[in-house]
Amino acid sequence: MFIGIVFIAIQFIQPAHNKSGQVLPTDFAKVYTVAINVQTILQNACYDCHSNNTNYPWYSNIQPMAWLMARHINNGKQKLNFSEFANCSSRKQISKLKEIANQIKDNEMPLSSYKMMHTKATLTKEEKVLIMDWMNKTADSLSANN
Amino acid sequence: MTNIIFGLAIAAFYLTSCNNSNSEVAENKNAINDTVQVKSQVDTSITSATIVADAKSTVTIKEIISTYLQIKNAFAKDNSNDAATAGKSLQAAFRNFDTKTLPAQQAKTFTDIADDAKEHAEHIGVNGGKMAHQREHFIMLSKDMADLIKNFGNGGQTLYKDFCPMANDGKGATWISETKDIKNPYLGKAMPTCGSVKETIQ
Repeated sequence: MFIGIVFIAIQFIQPAHNKSGQVLPTDFAKVYTVAINVQTILQNACYDCHSNNTNYPWYSNIQPMAWLMARHINNGKQKLNFSEFANCSSRKQISKLKEIANQIKDNEMPLSSYKMMHTKATLTKEEKVLIMDWMNKTADSLSANN
Repeated sequence: MTNIIFGLAIAAFYLTSCNNSNSEVAENKNAINDTVQVKSQVDTSITSATIVADAKSTVTIKEIISTYLQIKNAFAKDNSNDAATAGKSLQAAFRNFDTKTLPAQQAKTFTDIADDAKEHAEHIGVNGGKMAHQREHFIMLSKDMADLIKNFGNGGQTLYKDFCPMANDGKGATWISETKDIKNPYLGKAMPTCGSVKETIQ
């Protein structure tokens, strides 16, 4: 009974949503010429935890899911935030591009718990190759300029 | 009859909600554990912040290079955990280096390199046991170290810039070494002598 009350009570404590509703001038898609098929994959598979705009599913309003999700998003944005990508030095941008390619190659990202709930985030072999090639190519052209 | 059905429905509802509550308890416990963890992390960061204050200005470029070389030698022996330990030391060394001892322009160059390098050192530090991932970061760290040495010297020690064409999935990668003999940190014991000296830094 008590647990039931706690469960209901925590429903009223909701963390702030990660939804700025705007695309910053520092956004990845603003500073790089991103092919539309690459951008769609990033949007579907990465932006929920790695940008300032999360597309929230219905269960995100049920506690303690909302807390778990807020934590994931916080950690995700700390490591990589597509919305503020241009705030990084070009040295760091090169590293981040290569790290994205590496994480996809090693099947570390997107997280499997995320893929379970988001079918669009499960990338086909072709989609993986597309992202990795694009990231590595962009990193190499940046390195050549620096 | 209706009463019985109604009663059963209520009972069923109660049972399921109890089950739910139990799993919620488990979830809550996790949440509480997490909070405790976060707190202990904060505590450590406070302690390390105090250490930072004491250790500042004592770190030299030479120490940064020698800590990097420890990581390199650990990878050459396929020792992921030693690499992680040295990775943590390198992260601390970058953090504790006092840029105020440098002229403004040089301080800027140092910070640019250090901001990137300490993240790679951190990844190597926290991923003991995941050597493939550590080595991915070591490729990028080595690039930063080469730039650091180009700008700030070799710390009074002859160094070699080595290149292995097979590392990095056949794309090739460089590293810095203190020995003329090749000891490959990317392929380790599998191909210890793959690669060649590209530059001697005296």
